[in-house]
Amino acid sequence: MNFRGFLQLVSSQGTILRRNTGFWVTSIMTAVLSMAVFGWLFNPDTQPFDLALVDEDRSQASRTLVEAFEGIDSVETREGSRDGELASLQDGDLGAVVIVPEGFAADLGRGSVTLPVYYDNSNPVRIGYVTTTVNAVVDSYNDQVVGQSSAVTVQQRSVSTKNVRFIDFLTPGMVGMTIMWVNLGVGFLLVTWREQGILRRLGVTPLRPGSLIASQAVSFSIVSLTQVTVVLLMGHFVFGVDIHGSFLWLAITVFLGVMAMLSIGYVVASLLKTVTSVNAVINLVAFPMMFLGGSYFPLDPPPALKPVIEAIPLTHLNDALREIVNHGGGLGDLWLSWLILAAWIVGGFGLSMRLFRWQ
Amino acid sequence: MVLTKETPGSAAEAETQAVGNVVLAVDALTKRYGSLVAVDGISFQVRRGETFGILGPNGAGKTTTLEMIEGLRRPDGGRITLLDLDAVRRRRAVQHRIGVQLQSQALWPELTVEETLKTFRALFRRKLPVETMLERFSLGDKRRSLVRDLSGGQKQRLSVATAMVNDPEVVFLDEPTTGLDPQARRSFWDLIHDMSGEGKTVIVTTHYMEEAEALCERVAIMDRGRIMAMDSPRELVRGLDFDNTVECTFAGSVERELLLALPAVHDVKKENGAHFLFTTNVSATLAGLMGLTDGGGERVQSLQVRTATLEDVFISLTGRRLRD
Repeated sequence: MNFRGFLQLVSSQGTILRRNTGFWVTSIMTAVLSMAVFGWLFNPDTQPFDLALVDEDRSQASRTLVEAFEGIDSVETREGSRDGELASLQDGDLGAVVIVPEGFAADLGRGSVTLPVYYDNSNPVRIGYVTTTVNAVVDSYNDQVVGQSSAVTVQQRSVSTKNVRFIDFLTPGMVGMTIMWVNLGVGFLLVTWREQGILRRLGVTPLRPGSLIASQAVSFSIVSLTQVTVVLLMGHFVFGVDIHGSFLWLAITVFLGVMAMLSIGYVVASLLKTVTSVNAVINLVAFPMMFLGGSYFPLDPPPALKPVIEAIPLTHLNDALREIVNHGGGLGDLWLSWLILAAWIVGGFGLSMRLFRWQ
Repeated sequence: MVLTKETPGSAAEAETQAVGNVVLAVDALTKRYGSLVAVDGISFQVRRGETFGILGPNGAGKTTTLEMIEGLRRPDGGRITLLDLDAVRRRRAVQHRIGVQLQSQALWPELTVEETLKTFRALFRRKLPVETMLERFSLGDKRRSLVRDLSGGQKQRLSVATAMVNDPEVVFLDEPTTGLDPQARRSFWDLIHDMSGEGKTVIVTTHYMEEAEALCERVAIMDRGRIMAMDSPRELVRGLDFDNTVECTFAGSVERELLLALPAVHDVKKENGAHFLFTTNVSATLAGLMGLTDGGGERVQSLQVRTATLEDVFISLTGRRLRD
């Protein structure tokens, strides 16, 4: 088969996949809805934040202010040094740092003083919560302690942090999940073709199984890349999820994920005969994989389950995607995940090429 | 309608004519599924340009035979030489030059007519333009219709078009008219005549004896994995030791010996409660049959007289009808 023929085969299969809306709509809708639910409706990040207090003045006045902050029930507070707490904030361990600067009492005696509050700017919901809480404490301090409404004014200083919000964690997980669902679907596609006699029909043409599989790999990669783009664009523009790493590493990871899931789909289609049984087995494989692979939640598995989770291809696909999207990871962070995905690809395709039958 | 392009003087003469112009030679072809022998060492040859039929009931081994020739199944024994190539070892080289229509119309429901033709064209080295195919199979106005929206006849035409897209030298059609209404079947026969007119070799399996008679220059009658007889339809019928068949049913049971003793009756077969009397003289047999009834015997319930057909050839060979 020449290259033009191959492209025609890729294009035809792309058309078939596109018109089989069930194939890609379900997975992309699941991803989008999950992101909407966790991003807007149920946001685990709106829970009380940690507040660090740095008292550099060590005066009676500063002590009173610090204690006023410590008196808030809904906020966990601690005291520390400026450098240490700002570093913590950068790492995403804190919601905000309030610094009572040296000379606070003296400035207050002269009439007015500014209070720098550093907060994490990556989470708009939390910013509102921090601002409200801090302002409430400062207002009541002004009124009740100083007796002058604008004595202490808050000076907000936003800090770019690497704080990984839940939506940041979830978005690459949804990318991994759509890749899994769509590409495991090749098993369903293949067994449908077998039931409709289409594989037999192709078997009496000079088409080689290898050419068919290669063209399917390209078609499915295109579908997956499109879906990944949609999920990432939505993550970025709606929820402010930044991609810290390289797009090339991202594309390579997506491709490896596509191939690993395809290879599992082929094995399932080679072992089973009917559409119903393939459907059942794919669901049986996909649902546990979706949760054990950590698409939705960070896992803290019991030791007995650890080897299972480490063997699941989706675990490594998600790990690699998060490493790139959330942490800007490079080859050093990715090679192990890539290697394990590659092992699945070699094993899966090797097995399914041996098992492949036109009918 | 009986179509015979050429009536060989005898089977032996046909064999000698075939030499040197053989497109397909099957020799001692065998396929087993476990203990079941699906194809039992059959041999036959097909000449270039010939329309050759394999006639037999379901399960006779027709489809398995075609599938081995087409490269879909590996034979357990025997040789297949197709277009001067070993069809098993040079499978792909052969597949470039043949056209196949399988029993099921295997088309992607999600593609349009035009996309389907383009997809099949992509698989071959030698190929005809899509426009030619659309025109030839009267699918031009349906080019942008999805396959799932086509009528049965249109699907059938498209299915044949996909088999012809590489301008094949030999065309295999596996039970092409099963499930078609009589009108669609007729127009399909026209399609096959057209192929034949272009000089293509056509090999068709069927369990409709009318179809074999209408289309095929030669027919192999197959049953239980074996070829029972092979000749032109006319010669096969002429080879029978009788001219007509009297098919009748009785209100009660009738001794076979009694029927066999009737005048001019050559043989009697019983199938599903019906008796088939093969006769060389219809009027004598009928008179005898009536006399049998008058003499206080069992009453005749139904009676049918017809000229011997391929069906009778099959019944006389196997004792069973082609269709259940």
